[in-house]
Amino acid sequence: MAQQQQHVLLSPAELAYLHSSLSLTPPIRPDGRSATQFRPLSAETGILPGTNGSARVCFADGTEAIVGVKAEIERTKRRWDDDGVYRENAQQHQEQEGEGKEGEGQEGSGDWVELTVEIPGLRDDDSGTAFLGRMLGEALLADGGFVGRLRVNRRFHWKVFLDILLISPPLSYPLPLLSLTTHLALLATRLPKLKSEGDEDPFFDDDWAAARYLYARDPVTKKVVERPPVTLLVMAVGGNIIFDPSKEELAVADVALAVSIGDDATATKTKEDEMEVDSSSGRNLKLLSIRTVDPPSRLTPPGVANAANSAYGHAQVVNTAATQKMPEARQTESEAVEGVWKPPRGGAKASVMGALVQKVLVKGGVADEVLDALEGVDTS
Amino acid sequence: MPREAEPSLNEKQFVLQALQDSIRLDGRELEQYRPLELTFGDQYGVADVTLGKTRVLAKASAELTVPYADRPLDGIFNIATELSPMTSPAFEVNRPTETEVLISRLLEKTVRRSGALDTESLCLVAGQKCWSIRVDVHVLSHDGNLIDAACFAVVAALRHFRKPDTSMEGGVLTVYTPAEREPVPLSWLHSPFCVTWSFFGEDGDIAVLDATWMEEQVSSGSCTISLNKHGEICQIAKLGGVPVEAVSLLQCTNVALIKAKDMSSKLDRWLTEDAKRRDKGGLLAELSAENDRVPDI
Amino acid sequence: MPLDTSTYGLALLRVDGRRWNELRRIHAQIRTQAAADGSSYLEMGHTKVMCVVTGPSEPGPRRGAAGGAAGGGGGAGGQSKDAEVVVNIVIAGFSSVDRKRRGRGDKRTLEMQSTLANTLAATLHTHLFPHSQINISLHVLSQDGSLLAALINAATLACVDAGIPMTDYVTACTAGSTSTYAANDEGADPLLDLNHQEEQELPGLTVATLGDSDRVVALVCESRVQISRLEGMLAVGVDGCKQVREILDQVIKAQGQKMILEGTVDKGTGLNDMDLD
Repeated sequence: MAQQQQHVLLSPAELAYLHSSLSLTPPIRPDGRSATQFRPLSAETGILPGTNGSARVCFADGTEAIVGVKAEIERTKRRWDDDGVYRENAQQHQEQEGEGKEGEGQEGSGDWVELTVEIPGLRDDDSGTAFLGRMLGEALLADGGFVGRLRVNRRFHWKVFLDILLISPPLSYPLPLLSLTTHLALLATRLPKLKSEGDEDPFFDDDWAAARYLYARDPVTKKVVERPPVTLLVMAVGGNIIFDPSKEELAVADVALAVSIGDDATATKTKEDEMEVDSSSGRNLKLLSIRTVDPPSRLTPPGVANAANSAYGHAQVVNTAATQKMPEARQTESEAVEGVWKPPRGGAKASVMGALVQKVLVKGGVADEVLDALEGVDTS
Repeated sequence: MPREAEPSLNEKQFVLQALQDSIRLDGRELEQYRPLELTFGDQYGVADVTLGKTRVLAKASAELTVPYADRPLDGIFNIATELSPMTSPAFEVNRPTETEVLISRLLEKTVRRSGALDTESLCLVAGQKCWSIRVDVHVLSHDGNLIDAACFAVVAALRHFRKPDTSMEGGVLTVYTPAEREPVPLSWLHSPFCVTWSFFGEDGDIAVLDATWMEEQVSSGSCTISLNKHGEICQIAKLGGVPVEAVSLLQCTNVALIKAKDMSSKLDRWLTEDAKRRDKGGLLAELSAENDRVPDI
Repeated sequence: MPLDTSTYGLALLRVDGRRWNELRRIHAQIRTQAAADGSSYLEMGHTKVMCVVTGPSEPGPRRGAAGGAAGGGGGAGGQSKDAEVVVNIVIAGFSSVDRKRRGRGDKRTLEMQSTLANTLAATLHTHLFPHSQINISLHVLSQDGSLLAALINAATLACVDAGIPMTDYVTACTAGSTSTYAANDEGADPLLDLNHQEEQELPGLTVATLGDSDRVVALVCESRVQISRLEGMLAVGVDGCKQVREILDQVIKAQGQKMILEGTVDKGTGLNDMDLD
């Protein structure tokens, strides 16, 4: 993220205090939440009649995002066939190398989704904005089924434009907020019902009420069967794993991860019979992508231990000499001191990473909880 | 970013106080323009406009291109504005300042969107070939009221400009060099001119035409009105600034019309003078004789 | 998209069924956003905008290259005695019927930013906050004509919510004329509050006035029109601004009343001289 907004105005002492209270078991968070608890949020969908789907989410800390989805019909590339002759040729060609077509179809389909993130006060080519956009788009495309939903026929497909707006000033790292809003907007997205058949030029039903949802629903209960992915922000401090960190908490993170998860609907269906008895939630979560987020804690100023502080007479002589000799010496020295803030250095341990991901995916865990909560939002 | 030095408090007060007594530093009336001068270059379509110490150069050029896909029947017409560091250290190349954006928007609205140039006439083969007319505006010296000067320069350059003659025969497009056929003027529909008012004081009750750079720096708001001699408003831009009574704005518009008519007749006169100058020595006659012979070859 | 304006002469009704002097429905809310110092949401017909104000606050690091053009700063920089008003407009890609993406460098958006910044800088008491910055960010969610007017109104509401001292409300609306330029019709009637279709077809202007007066802060006309029609259009526009002011005033008062009832604001702190009947 850009330094400007992630810059944390906390003193080393405050950072040390935060770090140690978050490292306790159970951790004590500044806002009194438990380690896995999310900030309360309010959400609504279908707020913009001019879009195919839209959603607005407000977190309790006041951050707010709006996502609008617009779809346009577009001619699928490589099939530049207006007259019948060409198309027949093209089809033969495709049939001859059926596998090649499959592969290429997947490759090109990434452009069927265009995702833009707008954060007030930041340029749209800002690295932070671009990174957010990539992360959100990556999760969506990693869920292999998504672009398949946009297919109309062999010659045409829907092009989906996702415009993600952060309305409020960016108080905390906006990734979870934007991801949840995008999730809801996509759930609420509807595309006009196709009336034409086969590979002819498509035409659609004018009746908006007949439009089908991008993510299929149960025809009877109207319950969502399939869902788009969500990206969660998880961080580790000491031995603790903390979900949905606030800006201050992120400032002392050892590791921060953006984990995208999807709901493997097909697997759920097949397994439903067996699992019905023993599991209340029939979800089959799968991991779509992981990105490490550079936590702002790395840029925080280190604290100075009493022993190293030249204001205390007893250490004066030794330490002034040491610090003058090599600046790093001070840091190495302060490393050992308990209760003195030291920005995390180096990477995360593999075991910590594993634990983080495990914690997200575990049945009845946080991801399940989040998806349950999102199910509660009326997206019809 | 280097900044233009601001006038001192004393200077500001002096200028304002004088204006309150209807006195301007250069002795002009409030509604009087500085002397406007126009020189055409040797080439067609080069206009050098001076307005007091403000000097703007505009150059029109044409090239053949493919029309935009969504507008196959229209030619392309662009105005490029550049404020270089030569004008003031506050301007940098490739980094458009707010002033530059506003000037180019105003010129665009005044000349392009008001339909002064008939873009349909620039199209040669629908969807395939058209003329792209481009006007480059260079500000050489900045002493206030860039907009009026730049607009006058653009209009003068375009009206003076001649594009190569073309002909279509049996689907073959021929572009003639100036030696083969005398270049032809653009199809020009009307000439809009910008008139900029500057307002002074807390209530904006002092309205002044053609402010100098010093006056612009102490002014509390401005309003640019673009009109042609037929009494049509092409654009009004009072982009914020001090609130002004609606009635006085209407009066400003009426005065602006007189000024625009004045500029229009001046430009007409200069254009005819220039045409006469170029005609001297029977150059035109000689060329037309050559043209007569061309089809025989 | 040719618009059939010929029926106007018969029924004196516009495409959306309004008469010449009718505004579209204006719906406004303030304090929509908890994290900001001031915020508002405004609908003028189908034009929907959101505004978030932060500040007056310490100016952030100068955004270097972007500072001049993209910031649209009104008033002078941070080193001056006045607060700088920085306006940022985001036009959402989904706001128009056909999706059209505008980059930050779009000149039209830059011009609107600069207009807004200068309009507000003239009205806000920026001299009370030296060396500081007022950030106004606007989001356009849906466009149906009168965009600039809606932006100005929303920004005014948000500034009131943020508690930034100002001379009076700055309210804006659009006015047009019934026949196109080409018709050259002397008997053309003025129209109030143009929607997108009318804005495309007919000459029009946006006017912003200060409070209840006839004093024009901003006047933007982007179409070709006879000079004789200006007076009628301006008069209708200024009158429309007064109507808009009444509506915004009610919104603010209703919110103020609600806050007092909820106990968010102490009754004795400066609000007691507010007329709350």
